[in-house]
Amino acid sequence: MAIATTRRDFDKSKFFAGIARGIAGALLFALPMLMTMEMWELGVYMDRSRLLLLLLVNIPLLIILSDRVGFEETSTWRQAIRDASIAYALGIVSSTLILVAMGVIKQDQSAHEIIGMIALQAVPASIGAMLGRSQLGGQSDDDDDKDDDDDDPVHERETSYAGELFLMAVGALFLNLNVAPTEEMILLSYKMTPWHALIIIAASLAVMHSFVYALSFKGSHDLAEGTPSWHAFVRFTLPGYLIAGLISAYCLWTFHRTDDIGSTQILMAVVILSFPGAIGAAAARLIL
Amino acid sequence: MTKVSNDKNIENSDPHWIEWITGAVSAGIVLAVIVWIGKDGFVDQDASPNLEGIVLQTEERSDGFQVLFEIKNGSSATASQVKVRGEMIEKQSVLESVETVLDYVPGHSKAAGGLIFQQNPDGKQVTVRATAFDEP
Repeated sequence: MAIATTRRDFDKSKFFAGIARGIAGALLFALPMLMTMEMWELGVYMDRSRLLLLLLVNIPLLIILSDRVGFEETSTWRQAIRDASIAYALGIVSSTLILVAMGVIKQDQSAHEIIGMIALQAVPASIGAMLGRSQLGGQSDDDDDKDDDDDDPVHERETSYAGELFLMAVGALFLNLNVAPTEEMILLSYKMTPWHALIIIAASLAVMHSFVYALSFKGSHDLAEGTPSWHAFVRFTLPGYLIAGLISAYCLWTFHRTDDIGSTQILMAVVILSFPGAIGAAAARLIL
Repeated sequence: MTKVSNDKNIENSDPHWIEWITGAVSAGIVLAVIVWIGKDGFVDQDASPNLEGIVLQTEERSDGFQVLFEIKNGSSATASQVKVRGEMIEKQSVLESVETVLDYVPGHSKAAGGLIFQQNPDGKQVTVRATAFDEP
């Protein structure tokens, strides 16, 4: 991913290191999906309008993500769009290379199949490329020196409420995309009784809240003094769980897991998929 | 708003009212889901599926005559590996029978498929029914 901001300070090695980090991120985050049979099959048969919607939704997601997890503090929207395009392209290229290398894509397949498989895999891979660039360390030695010299080492910034919710959505989407295409999700929802579903809801909320507020991970959140703890539960955990649920429902619909299925069964599948989604949402608040 | 400082984030003690509205709406929706599922916990006590086959339409295709069907499950219990047999009947005798397997027919849901007959079902009776299933 591009690091240089002006033509003058363009540094080739930095630029290629950025690209390599993007590919590393795409691999790290998307390899489980590239190796999932259901993802290949979905690429072949899934409804093209749903695939198109997923591909389009991914564009603003990458742009906002680029702006949010930022490659640079001074990132403008133009730079965000540029970085999002590069991440998407890296996602497409790395998915293609891996699928060809693993023999999933073969010469005798139709263009419809090949493009469908690559397009579907490019979505998680592009998010991975974006996160890889920012999370696998994007700082050169120069940057580190600058930080050390800084008089005020406290790095302070404020994230808006919408920003926090967006991060939760990205985290939920990420874990959901990993498991939503698998048959296990619907199988679990068929195996569970409604009582199991209620336990899963309670567990999801408890895990989500304790991940962010109780377990003292790096990046964990505290309440301002004198604020009762249920405040954070209502303001962050419950909306976060709802977002995880909505994203689960969207993923299940996209992957044809809700077609012809009764409302209770859909709800059960959403509940079980929201479990990893909730953990992803909570983890995103800590990590991103 | 959340203040991020040295990897320690502190939630604002004086949040915007939108945060409370969002929280309250979310609480309402989560509660509604819990009530819905809880209601089903009491109402849905079926121990086995109740499968019914319906013929939707017949089309002529290059490989024969394609009969599209759906299997409805009227019970809350899910059936998996549902064997479906279609029979073409004329004057009480079975002219041709075709079988397929559906992966799942979830509770209070339906699953669709197709059977391909060699003979033209026009003017003959075609029946589709489930003949066996597994528990998921």
